[in-house]
Parts: sequence; C-alpha cells; structure tokens
Amino acid sequence: MKKKQVWITLGLMCLILTMCIAIQIRTIGSTNSTVSQTLTDDSLRDEVLMWKERYDNALEELENSEKELTQIREEATQDNSDYISKEEQIRENNMLLGLTDVTGSGIIITLRDNSNVTADSLSALDSIDYYLVHDMDLRTIVNELKNAGAEAISINDQRIVQTTSITCEGVIIQVNGETVGSPFTIKAIGSTELLYGSLTRPGGYIEALENTGVIVEVKKADKIDINKFSGVINAQYMKTVQ
Amino acid sequence: MKNKIKEFTKNINKSELIMSIIIGLICIILVCTISIQFKTVEETNITDIENMREAELRTQISSWKTRYEETSKKLEENNNTINEYREKLNNDQETEELLDKELAETDLLVGKTDVKGEGVIVTLTDSEESTITSSDLLELVNELRYAGAEAISINDIRITNSSYIATVNATLIRIDLQRVTSPYVVKAIGNPTYLTSTLNLKDNGFIDKYKNSGKNITLSTERNIQILKNSRDMEIKYLREVEEQ
Repeated sequence: MKKKQVWITLGLMCLILTMCIAIQIRTIGSTNSTVSQTLTDDSLRDEVLMWKERYDNALEELENSEKELTQIREEATQDNSDYISKEEQIRENNMLLGLTDVTGSGIIITLRDNSNVTADSLSALDSIDYYLVHDMDLRTIVNELKNAGAEAISINDQRIVQTTSITCEGVIIQVNGETVGSPFTIKAIGSTELLYGSLTRPGGYIEALENTGVIVEVKKADKIDINKFSGVINAQYMKTVQ
Repeated sequence: MKNKIKEFTKNINKSELIMSIIIGLICIILVCTISIQFKTVEETNITDIENMREAELRTQISSWKTRYEETSKKLEENNNTINEYREKLNNDQETEELLDKELAETDLLVGKTDVKGEGVIVTLTDSEESTITSSDLLELVNELRYAGAEAISINDIRITNSSYIATVNATLIRIDLQRVTSPYVVKAIGNPTYLTSTLNLKDNGFIDKYKNSGKNITLSTERNIQILKNSRDMEIKYLREVEEQ
C-alpha cells in the first residue's frame, strides 16, 4: 500500500515538472529574441528611456498640480453660489474629457485571442485571423458602447478620450499610443442593462466575434473604476469663434 | 532495530530499487532543465525597447519628446492658474474672471463652442460602384485622431468623445441622433501637415486604400475651417468622481 503511494507521488511530480518545462519553452518561443544590437541603437535606446523618464516625471508633477488646482479652486469659490456652479461645470467638463478617475455601474468585456488554434492546426479554408482580436474589433466595440450610452470607457486601462486612436502596426495594437495586448479588458460605465442588452443582442458584433472564434466574456458589474487619461488634451490649432 | 532494517532491505525487490533510482535521476534532470529554462527566460525577458530597430527608436524618441513638451506646458499653465487663484483669493471679481477663463477653456476642449482653425476637409461621395458605409467614416475619424485632429465634424455634426456612428436598417448612417447622407464632408482642425501626410501615406494611407477599393474621396487643405459646437445635452448620469483619500 505504502509503495503504491510513493509511486503515485513520483508520477505526479514528474507530470508537474514536465508541464513546467513545456510552459517555459512556449514562453521563450513567444518572446521575440532576434535582437540586432548596434552601438547607435544603444545610444538611441538610452535617449528613448531618457525622454520617457522626463515625461513620466512631468506627468507626475502635472497630476499633483491638478489636485492642487482643484483644491484651490474649491477654496476660492466656496462662499459664492454663482462661483460654486461654475466650479461644478469645470469639474463636469473634466469628467467629460476623461481627466478624472471615475466610478459607476456598467459592464466589463474581455476579448481573448484563441490560443488553442495555431496556423498549422487549421484547414486551408480557415484563417488564423478569425481567432485573433483586431484593432477594428476594438474600434467597433467602443463605437457600440458609445451608441449604448457609455459615459466612460477604457481598454486595458487606457481611457478612451476624444483624441484616442486605436491603431495597428504589424501585429501590435496601440491605444493612445500605448501598446495593448490580449486579453483585452474593456470597461464601460453607463446603464448596465442598456449596455449589456445592446452589446450581447442576437446578431450583434459580440456574437459575430464569438462565432468566428475569438474568446469573449461579457459581465455586468455594480462598481467599475476607470482611471483618468494619462496625457494632455490641448487646443493648439483650434480657437473659439467669438 | 538493525535486524528490522536488514529485513526491510531484503524485502525490497532489486528491480524496484533500480526503478526508484531511475525515477530519482529523471526528477533531477527535469529540475535542472527547469532551472536552466528559468534563467534563459529571465535573460530574454527584456523590455520592448530593446527589440526595436533604429527607425522605430527615432519615432519613439520624438513621440516621448512631444508628450514631455505637452505635459510640461500644461504643468506650467496649471501652476500659473494656481498662483493666480492664490493671489486673488480675497478678490471676488478677479476670482470670477479666472473661473470664467478656466470654464471657457474646458468648454472649448469638450466641444461646447464653435471653433475655427487650419486643417483638412475630406469629402466622401457615394458612387455607382461603391457606397460609403458607417465603418468607412469610423475609420476616417480614427485616422484623423491618430494624426492629432483637435476638432472633427461630419456634415456639420461635431464628433465629441461620446459620439457614435451607426448604421440603421443596413443602409442609413446615423451620427448621434441625426441622419447623414452622401456627400459626407468631414472637417478636421489640426496640424495640416500631419493630417495630410497621415491620410496620404502610400498604399496603406486612408486615401490610397479607399481609392483602390473604388470609393470616391477627395482631400483638401484649408487655412480657415469652422466647426460648429455640439448642440447635444452632455449629461452625466452614471459617472461619479472617485473621492481622494
């Protein structure tokens, strides 16, 4: 009896170890390891990092200044009802622009590339394209969410604002110029029923995506937090018509 | 005690002993392989930046630089406004002026005011061979935003952050709640050079791609474009601000 247990334990250990190795090999396979490094590339790389760091620092300072500004604006307007309403309008505008962290009820959509399918396992009539999430899918879903009255949307924590573009270069999808990858988590705040009903309706885009082979999950949530846009929305070229 | 151990070893079959040793060895080999693998993974787990080529790196530099400059400019503006509020804390009239200024600025960005500026006008027209669809317009808006458009309108309907472009009954195109028909005049205010060069990219740019598929499309650069405000009521019903701790 005891011997049997020892055998089973050993067998299980071997199984787990083999699985670990398999996962590891897959990870290595998926990271692009063809690195062609030259000296100029190295210095350019340093420069990218330098500007990114300067941007990150400036952004942090900007966020602090925004908090301070909100505070002092409140302080300056607190004892005049006319000012308070203007202060509220500024706040509301900033919410519409996506410049504040917001919370509310809504839905969360998760889109996942179908990893069970590889180019080799498909028949000639099928295409791997049907099993992957494309920039076009994200654009269409964002448009449908807006149609259903979503008041705030984010994709993998990138807030959708009015200057947001969702683009694709090669196989890399970018939102707000930042790279995002599968799984795509799309959060939307608005009327839960309206958003859910409209997105999951028969013949809708979500259903079509599911039918082609992408892995889709839609769930309702009472409390969704959506971060603000980490960037600047400005008006360099447009002026108000007086 | 010693006798017991002897008895026990006797009881173990020789072949079983060999099997156990073999399994033990396999385990050791597997563990070694895994640790080697982990090391390799760690070494190849370099950031995206290290996988880029020269041209890509240069675009990255200019993109981060622009973002840095925009952020610093906004930071400076914010700090000035903070100081102004502080100075005017006890003067009601000046505080109101400052509030009005801030409100006007955010109204402009949200799309609540008529705006003008330089930019491009793209006109899409239905032809006999091809009709313009809502997704064509959606693609164009996305391209214009990518090229840094600050204000966009289609047939004088201002495209704001909450705007959507929908197809109704498979043929009609509706933007927000209004129906639009061909010709679709898409106006965009922004840097005309960026806007035209993005749309005009050879083969993969919007103009080439759509012309090749038989669509009727023209692009012109304009010095003075007017875009009307969004007249829709932008009501917030479900959003709440996250309170600061």
